Amino acid sequence: MSFLQIEKLDAFYGKALALSGVELSVEEGEIVAIVGPNGAGKSTLLDSILGLTTTNGDICLDGNSLIGTGSAAIVKCGVGYAPERCNLFPYMTVRENLLVGAFTSRENIDSNLELVFKLFPQLREREHQETSTQSGGERQMVSIGRALMTSPRLLLVDEPTIGLAPKICLEIAEVLRRLCKQFGTTIVITEQNTNFAMTLAERLYVLETGEIKASGTVDEMRNDARLTEAYFGT
Amino acid sequence: MAQIIIQGLLLSGLYALIAMGFTLIFSVGRVLNLAYGSYLMIGGYVYFYLTQLLGVPKIVGILMATVAGCVVGLLIYRLLVKQLKGDHVAIEISTLILAVVLQAGIVLLFGDSSKILLPIVPGVIHVGGATVTFSILAATIISWVILIGIYIFIRKTHTGRAMQAVSMDAKGAAISGIDSDRINMITWGISGTLGAVAGVFFASYTQLSPSMWVAPLIIAIAVVIVGGIGSIIGTLVVAHIIGFMEILTTAILAPEMRGVFTMLLIIGVLVIRPRGLFGREEL
Ligand SMILES: Nc1ncnc2c1ncn2[C@@H]1O[C@H](COP(=O)(O)OP(=O)(O)O)[C@@H](O)[C@H]1O
Ligand SMILES: [Mg+2]
Repeated sequence: MSFLQIEKLDAFYGKALALSGVELSVEEGEIVAIVGPNGAGKSTLLDSILGLTTTNGDICLDGNSLIGTGSAAIVKCGVGYAPERCNLFPYMTVRENLLVGAFTSRENIDSNLELVFKLFPQLREREHQETSTQSGGERQMVSIGRALMTSPRLLLVDEPTIGLAPKICLEIAEVLRRLCKQFGTTIVITEQNTNFAMTLAERLYVLETGEIKASGTVDEMRNDARLTEAYFGT
Repeated sequence: MAQIIIQGLLLSGLYALIAMGFTLIFSVGRVLNLAYGSYLMIGGYVYFYLTQLLGVPKIVGILMATVAGCVVGLLIYRLLVKQLKGDHVAIEISTLILAVVLQAGIVLLFGDSSKILLPIVPGVIHVGGATVTFSILAATIISWVILIGIYIFIRKTHTGRAMQAVSMDAKGAAISGIDSDRINMITWGISGTLGAVAGVFFASYTQLSPSMWVAPLIIAIAVVIVGGIGSIIGTLVVAHIIGFMEILTTAILAPEMRGVFTMLLIIGVLVIRPRGLFGREEL
């Protein structure tokens, strides 16, 4: 069994089906990308791992089912999440936002703070700034930082590059790579920007209208002409 | 003049305490708990029953009043608010009805007539021509101590920050491992406790009566509406605006008019600035 194993996952908003029959597995220490157009269900999939949606099917982390345990327990289990719109606490400072992230991981506050500031030196300078006054790039860094404060073994990052300058995208990619290499953090990232996803991830899943349409290593996907045409432009 | 300033400051401190428990609930759950005034009534009557009918020491009376307020707050959350799952109109209607039912309960237990509480701390002091009872002075000092304590709790502890987090972004709080149900539960408990202790002081400032829940509820609503905020600083500022307004009305016009202006202020602000003067609802 894989580190993260998702089986026959359906997700609903009311009666509308947003995911159907999703099968996905991620090994420990891997970076996996989920690519797909707007509305494909990428955010729904990550929300489902956190137990924030109504689902059928099974989601297991390290052999333990996460279904029905509640998002607080899932975070405690080692899942960190940087969601699409960041969902920061706007009238708190950078530091306070990070401290909230430490709610379930209080023993490691100092070392995790140090790690976040080392990965994003910019945040250390702006430690006492309210996040409502920050740029999109800084907010994304705080969001990833807050997820790291939970001491995650699995880090979920939802479209981190959306609306950001190329330079900041590269910076974020570098941080995620470092997290994976140095700390062995398993990372699942979603992207509409397939090129960015391919430079970062080892394996890709293609999600469209709530279903997994293709999956494989980056090389396999690149060499499959049919896939390249359908999903990655030219 | 000195009289007005001193009395204004004293009353405003108490009003800030009254409003605080109400604002906490509004900030964290975005819901108006119209049964809030009942916490003050329950606190006042528990204190009266224990200290004046049973002769229990006053400090024990205050402690038991806060316990009762906390328990009632927790029960209202569990049995009513949680069942109604975020349906704000339903929560507001049922908490208002509950307040009326609790009033009937008090009439049944203690009768319809109002009761005078003996001073919590007997004695008076003269300051710059103003006569200040030790009771109201103690009430104001204790109110400030509690307010500062709550401020530190919310700013500096994990649970306090989690309350702020839930109030600012529910999803952000959930993915940080915060169980919003537990945080709401804690908030309702604190709110009941604050309401009950405020009730003891408020009853000793005015008097104990089955309808005593109305005036503090209006003060609390005024602070939320006029402030449009759950921020603690905002609560303090608006409590002082209302406190001074009432003292001035009492001095210049007539004591019966004081609540009227608070209510007119609520309506005025709703018409002019629907989101309140300060326009922020988060803690
Ligand atoms: N809160 C919601 N309520 C109802 N439908 C939703 C909600 N969030 C997303 N959806 C629907 O679910 C589908 C997948 O959305 P989403 O997961 O946000 O896609 P993506 O992140 O890939 O852009 C879309 O059809 C979207 O309209
Ligand atoms: Mg999305």
